[in-house]
Amino acid sequence: MKGLLTPGILARRTALAVAVLVAVMFVCSFVGAERISLKAVFCTATDLTTVNPDHEIFVRVRLPRIILAAIVGAALACSGVTFQALLRNPLADPYILGISSGAALGATIAVLGGFDWTLWGRSPIAVFAFAGGLAAVWLVWSIGRMTGKFYVTGLLLAGVVVNAFFSAIIMFLTSIAKSQQVHATIFWLMGNMVEEDFLVLWIGTGCIASGITALFLISPQLNILSLGEDDARSIGLNTTGIQTFAFTIAAFITAVAVSLSGLIGFVGLIVPHAIRLTFGPDHRQLFPLCAIIGAAFLVGADTVARTVVAPAQLPVGIVTAIVGGPFFLVLLVKYSKKVHWYK
Amino acid sequence: MILAWMGLGLTISISQQNQIRGHQVSPNQINRIVSMAPNLTEILFALGLDNEIVGVTISSDYPPTAKEKHKVGNFWQPNIEAIIAARPDLVVTLGFDQQINLAHRLKRMGHTCLTVRIEKIRDLFEAINTIGTAVGKQQKAHQLVSDIQTRLDNLRALVGRDQTLKVLWVVQREPLRVAGRDTFINELIEIVGGVNAIGPTIHKYPPIGAEQVIACRPDVIIEPSEQHQNTAAQLRHAMQYWGRFENVPVVTNKRIYVVPADVVSRLGPRLPSGAETVARCLRPELFEK
Repeated sequence: MKGLLTPGILARRTALAVAVLVAVMFVCSFVGAERISLKAVFCTATDLTTVNPDHEIFVRVRLPRIILAAIVGAALACSGVTFQALLRNPLADPYILGISSGAALGATIAVLGGFDWTLWGRSPIAVFAFAGGLAAVWLVWSIGRMTGKFYVTGLLLAGVVVNAFFSAIIMFLTSIAKSQQVHATIFWLMGNMVEEDFLVLWIGTGCIASGITALFLISPQLNILSLGEDDARSIGLNTTGIQTFAFTIAAFITAVAVSLSGLIGFVGLIVPHAIRLTFGPDHRQLFPLCAIIGAAFLVGADTVARTVVAPAQLPVGIVTAIVGGPFFLVLLVKYSKKVHWYK
Repeated sequence: MILAWMGLGLTISISQQNQIRGHQVSPNQINRIVSMAPNLTEILFALGLDNEIVGVTISSDYPPTAKEKHKVGNFWQPNIEAIIAARPDLVVTLGFDQQINLAHRLKRMGHTCLTVRIEKIRDLFEAINTIGTAVGKQQKAHQLVSDIQTRLDNLRALVGRDQTLKVLWVVQREPLRVAGRDTFINELIEIVGGVNAIGPTIHKYPPIGAEQVIACRPDVIIEPSEQHQNTAAQLRHAMQYWGRFENVPVVTNKRIYVVPADVVSRLGPRLPSGAETVARCLRPELFEK
């Protein structure tokens, strides 16, 4: 908003955001259902026979979960930015084109099927959710392309209908399912964060970080696209190529995030808007800032989810909505006079 | 670059896995047990493990001393941090999806878990023996099983076979959901000489319509109370709700009962008391003396 975005400003803002993220992660790793002491965590007993619960909780439960929240938050926020830019619709979020219901249907089928195998350490739920999410978005994308010139409207409508259709199938499946399976599905649908294996986190981080980098690299083109498709084409941009690329990457990182942690709503909607409202709509800064602030937001929300009703836990999706909604409304009222929405 | 990243991850993870090994614990070494369900807690207490239990779920409220134990989350949303903090050498879980998943996670960290499936009365006996073996209390487990069996047999003998009442077991009123044939509730009803008013269904706890309520002509309606709720108030509500079926005999005869849920819905060592509670509803005259 204040003048043009220079590399200096971008670096300063990113550094600030990184500082916030580090602070949030540091604080959150010492908040939890069980009080652990920093001293006990790092005094790793030389003999492995004695159990050190503090160390175990910190290293094997809390830290993996915080890292998971961070990468999922980053993925959802950046994917939200992309969908809002491509569909030129402020209501767009990572789930708008059917990924959520596709993934949910996949997860429901996996729960009902009662499969008993793992693929590279991932449960059938994660594998089916990933495949279901991608399949649904591919379906919506193909239908959207068929609608021709006004394909943004076509895509949105196809997304709404596919979401509704898959939700109906999920309802049907859960209504004939055993009650214990229904419970398992419902908790997954509300966002399910658990500690994950090192390898899963490592690969997840790799996928999501490379996806966000790719999106960052095309952010100048996305800036042009947000002026409108015809204008972008008239100045010589290969709009179809950029759109397809951005869609694919955004759908991919969303599907990875969903397969890691279930459906966590709101992050992909409010974080991009909050950043856009406070720092302006330039995509070159939206991606880095959203990734970092999205990560910090979800780490914070997940910490609330695991502590507020301790020793029980809440699904993190509830917390993101409750905390994020009012905060977002305040931002909206405060800043919306100063910025232009996509037309 | 991506391949290098994946390769690096794989190497670290393999070297890490070599460090962590699950250790087998022999029954004599088990001094700290965490129970992940209220009925498992009851079994463990019945086996005399009062001091060994170091963690229970929030809803484990029987025996009363269970309430004072360290809480490790609830059945559906267990808190793995709290479980680890209890430093258990055995975690007992039920064979439900969510809990099997929990057991997998704990095993990966090198904890010992025991998963038992308790869905029918037969499973209960098996589970008691399995748990007894795992904690080195076989003798006590056999004793407990035969006690439960004897008390159930006595009850069977008391109610006899000369009268079969049709029982509608309502687990939820709005929308109406009842216990089907493939449940232990059905076994409980049959032990005390009743028969489930609802025939075989796909669902374990089928949702039914008003039509079926009238068509199945129940002699007795039983509702387990929602926990920690005023039973008298629930009975009043139940009477009001069932009043709409004014021409169904069960309503005109006022054969509607609200029974404490923890005794009848928890498949654990208090099963005979649960069966007796149900028997009192079906055949109150036998218990009047």
